[in-house]
Amino acid sequence: MQCEVCQDAVATVHLTDVSNNMKKEIHLCEGCAKKRGTTIKSHMNKEPNYPEFKTAQLAAAEFTESGGGEETDLVCPTCGISYSKFRSTGKFGCPEDYKIFGQHVVQLLEKIHHKVQHSGKTPRSGSTEVPEKPESMEMERQETEDESLIKQADGLREELRVAIEDEQYEKAAELRDTIYGIEGRIGGQKKASQKK
Amino acid sequence: MELDKLQNQVGEWLSGKGPESDIVISSRIRLARNVSGHSFLSRANLKDRSRLEQVIRDRLMGPEVSTEVSYFSLPDLSSVDRQFLVERHLISREHALGKGPRGVAMSPRENLSVMINEEDHLRIQGLHSGLQLRDTWEELNRLDTYLEETIDFAFDSQFGYLTICPTNAGTGMRASVMLHLPALVMTGQIEKVFQAVSKINLAVRGLYGEGTKASGDFYQISNQQTLGKSEGEIIRNVESVIPQIVKFERTVRETLLENKREVIEDKVWRAYGMLRSARIINSEETMDLLSVVRLGVNLGLIPGLRIQTINELFILSQPAHLQKMEQSELGSTERDITRATFIRNRLRVKDGQSES
Repeated sequence: MQCEVCQDAVATVHLTDVSNNMKKEIHLCEGCAKKRGTTIKSHMNKEPNYPEFKTAQLAAAEFTESGGGEETDLVCPTCGISYSKFRSTGKFGCPEDYKIFGQHVVQLLEKIHHKVQHSGKTPRSGSTEVPEKPESMEMERQETEDESLIKQADGLREELRVAIEDEQYEKAAELRDTIYGIEGRIGGQKKASQKK
Repeated sequence: MELDKLQNQVGEWLSGKGPESDIVISSRIRLARNVSGHSFLSRANLKDRSRLEQVIRDRLMGPEVSTEVSYFSLPDLSSVDRQFLVERHLISREHALGKGPRGVAMSPRENLSVMINEEDHLRIQGLHSGLQLRDTWEELNRLDTYLEETIDFAFDSQFGYLTICPTNAGTGMRASVMLHLPALVMTGQIEKVFQAVSKINLAVRGLYGEGTKASGDFYQISNQQTLGKSEGEIIRNVESVIPQIVKFERTVRETLLENKREVIEDKVWRAYGMLRSARIINSEETMDLLSVVRLGVNLGLIPGLRIQTINELFILSQPAHLQKMEQSELGSTERDITRATFIRNRLRVKDGQSES
């Protein structure tokens, strides 16, 4: 497809413009798109105006990338949402989920915000902290060794991705070896229990 | 207040006043809050939603509130009315199109608004003209504190305010500044702004137009990180880049005027001429022409035309505003005709006033 503006270069930027409730497709080459003051980010095509959406989508995407589906699914006893459901939608079911999904949430928040400790306003009424549910703590403890290894490997894979992006190849090689090491240990528990 | 009364006024944030208001249109901060002891809206049924709406609405409309607060329940409004609120930046598109019990409360001059049952139980917004993030925050913070006196918000000492999406957890705060950057777009330098801003972890996006098209040369700069930084730090972070961008835009404007005065004057006067002469005009063309005229006013090329007049036209010439003005639903061609007539009248009247 040719660029609609210069009629010359190949159109690589496809915009959907909605004005007056009329949907209009615009096809531009990169050069003409830049001239129009258009940023080229393919994932922005469908997104609404509100900023939070892009980040939510990004996070949801990041989510689905990391992690295998073999983990036992955590389910929140309060709202009934499962961790895998949360992962596919990027939306929690209730405030308790933050604690129930435990370490997963911490890792995710670290990815999104690069920090995991709130700083800033706290409610005056004070007593609004999510109560620590004993059940949830138990669930955390019941996590198998494999699950924690898988999580550890996932976290390292993310670091590896970043290292490669930053062209820190030495660090990447180290991370790769560590990941191999961890992956080798996955299933060890199973083998041991089979022996019993 | 009746919704129809709103159409005779525009929000204070369009007044064209406040620091750097030639380039900084407005400062907006929103807080995401959820009521503790309730599911997030992803798991809430109709009954939960109704109860939440009731509790929050009662607090917002309580006898302690000194100013007159308007409340609109969205299911009671027509789609044009809901769109009208979107066009005024009082609710999000998602809120307009949402389902179930939900609403919006607003202060008389539209500086404060609260969406109930949008993505989170509450989305509290403060909006002011010019670069005024600090004042906006102070006002918003007072409202938030007032709400907290009787409503327990879901909060955790580690994760801060708990939100449905992890991207908003912590402060729940998004602070954004809307900039008008026509000269940077015209000279193809806007990419530099994008690069500089993304380096310090802020987001830039076009304001109008779906997708990537930044109709009218409006760009919003906002924080992405909401956890681990205090409200003050977030504001300082967003504020920190604004002076450079403002200066960049001003420098480019001056250079354009020095080196290509005729070209710029021609562009500005043609745009002004089009707006004052057109008989049929669509939204997109309107935005683009208004943007050039706005630049012209700021450069002092069109004496007597007030910046507020142009700011208001960006909002008032949108589809739902035109339809409310005409008090009927209009097809797209009818709207384009109505829009052209409306703009001509506005510009003629204002022009006449200023010359007399």
